[in-house]
Amino acid sequence: MSNPAKIRKTKTRSDPQSLTDYLPPEGVPIHFRTASIGARFGAQFMDFLITYGGLLVLLLGLLWINILPETAFVTLFVLLIFLIRVPYYILSELVWNGRTLGKRIVKIRVIAANGRRLSAHQVTARNLMKEVEVFTPTTLLLGGSTGDWVTTLITIVWVLGVIALPFFNRKRQRLGDMIAGTIVVEQPKSVLLPDLAAARAVAVQRFTFLPMHLDFYGRYELQTLESILRDPGKSPSYPVELAKVTEAIIRKIDFVDPVVLGDQREFLLSFYRAQREHLESRRLFGDRREDKNHKVKAG
Amino acid sequence: MNPAAAPDLLRSARFRTEREASWQLLDRLVAKTEKSGAKNLSYDEARDLATCYRQAMNSLSVARDISLDRALLIYLEQLCARAYLVVYAPQQSLRGLLSRLVTHGIPQAVRRSSTPLLIGFLALIIGIFAGYHLYQKDPSWYYTFVPGDLSDGRTPDASAEYLRSTIYGDEGGNSDELGAFASFLFSHNTQVAILTFAVGIFLAVPSFLLTFYNGLLLGAFYAMFASKGLGLDLFAWLSIHGVTEMSAICFACAGGARLGLCVLMPGDLTRRDALQHHGRDAVKLVVLAGFLLVFAAFIEGFLRQLVQDPTLRLTIGWGFGAVWGTWLALSGRWDAPA
Repeated sequence: MSNPAKIRKTKTRSDPQSLTDYLPPEGVPIHFRTASIGARFGAQFMDFLITYGGLLVLLLGLLWINILPETAFVTLFVLLIFLIRVPYYILSELVWNGRTLGKRIVKIRVIAANGRRLSAHQVTARNLMKEVEVFTPTTLLLGGSTGDWVTTLITIVWVLGVIALPFFNRKRQRLGDMIAGTIVVEQPKSVLLPDLAAARAVAVQRFTFLPMHLDFYGRYELQTLESILRDPGKSPSYPVELAKVTEAIIRKIDFVDPVVLGDQREFLLSFYRAQREHLESRRLFGDRREDKNHKVKAG
Repeated sequence: MNPAAAPDLLRSARFRTEREASWQLLDRLVAKTEKSGAKNLSYDEARDLATCYRQAMNSLSVARDISLDRALLIYLEQLCARAYLVVYAPQQSLRGLLSRLVTHGIPQAVRRSSTPLLIGFLALIIGIFAGYHLYQKDPSWYYTFVPGDLSDGRTPDASAEYLRSTIYGDEGGNSDELGAFASFLFSHNTQVAILTFAVGIFLAVPSFLLTFYNGLLLGAFYAMFASKGLGLDLFAWLSIHGVTEMSAICFACAGGARLGLCVLMPGDLTRRDALQHHGRDAVKLVVLAGFLLVFAAFIEGFLRQLVQDPTLRLTIGWGFGAVWGTWLALSGRWDAPA
């Protein structure tokens, strides 16, 4: 815990996917989750499938109904082959605000890294670089048999370098993202769960907690307890887990009142409410207890 | 502790019940906008969206301080993120964007990138000279530079009559085939231009080499025709589209060089910041290249076959060059940077 770099490192590891420095014009920082590399490969693959698949279906259909003269057919084919490369990505990200069809399917999107709205320039820049990052290497690899070993070697190094780049920065930016100043994030989903403390409000307080019971834990333990309590508890081991947690809490806070088997959830909910009330009021006085390693201030 | 003060709710839970309705309204509005776009919102809905967004942001800020309910914090955070993406969606129209790009963005970007432009055009010119002189020394260089499918029988061994026929002949025939030819030229050349730009990120060297190679090709080609006494005719044949097309390749190369140069010499910025900063102009240079290539493909596909007189070909080709030059030098010069 002595040097700041070490602390920072452990912090990143505990929540590797959060972006902490995203500041909208309102000045309230919000956190987006960076899209995983897998999701981005998936989106790119879906886009390939959609564009080339669509092209194939369209051309086969045109061939089948056979209304176009041969030259018009060739013209159309050449133009479409061109359009489904860089222009498709630029246009779709412009129209759907940072989402190609593939990105929509895997639920990720492009946002500007500086907190402003995504600009047309950024969309163009990041997708132009796709030519060197995706299309050319793919074409070279697929048609690799014609090249000699030097070309193949260069291609492989090139592809590996381009693929490796996002792994080496925290925001998972590829070359195009760096030039455009964009990041790819997961599409946020908002689900409002009921308040655990409000659910307890009407119930009879069967357990009473004294301030000395509540001075032990901090925010981290409280929120861990919250996520345990929100667990739907379908698995057969859930009651055993609850019993273990109850036992641990009783031992740590020196709670004397006996808790009967089956009452454990009741006990934990009451404890959650009391602990949260205590911590929140301490917070108002500037005493932010992050975890159980805090120091209790006298008075 | 003091049950009389409030109806048995925690302070943070009361905070939530008081504001929950507004959050849920925002949630519904955001969902609607995500689905069918901001255009389909009524006046009241659009107003509510803006107000509720600010309120939710405010709630998030307060909740972070007073509440320890993780579910609530996550919800608010995600809601604000979703609403942010809807509220700050791009609002320029595609048409406004294009006209701004043409009148201000591109010409100003070109005028700001003199060094990369010098690199781009030098690459081509040096290439032309090298190709020309190498051919003078030894015509067999021609086979090294010009791939077989491109030369189409136009080799040093071909007769002057044949070469003349390729310049003044009726290459395609009917206009349908000319259209197919033009679209092929456009998509092929644009692909080359985008590649020339994108590889510039590798320290500008590959962009330079690609453009240099284009120059070599041209130089050897010209030297071969010149040796048969067809120099001026070829020059006219190439000029009609080549002035536009080769400038486009040079602009793409300049765009790549701009990226490569800022990776090499980022100045006071970090490399990443420098890339972002210079990327703005570099991308505009490629857009310009794409725009010029559409034109070049039309000229090469249609006009070159229809216009057979060398003087007229020269006039058209360099006339277009003068138009581009004037546009890029003057447009938006006295206005604020775009």
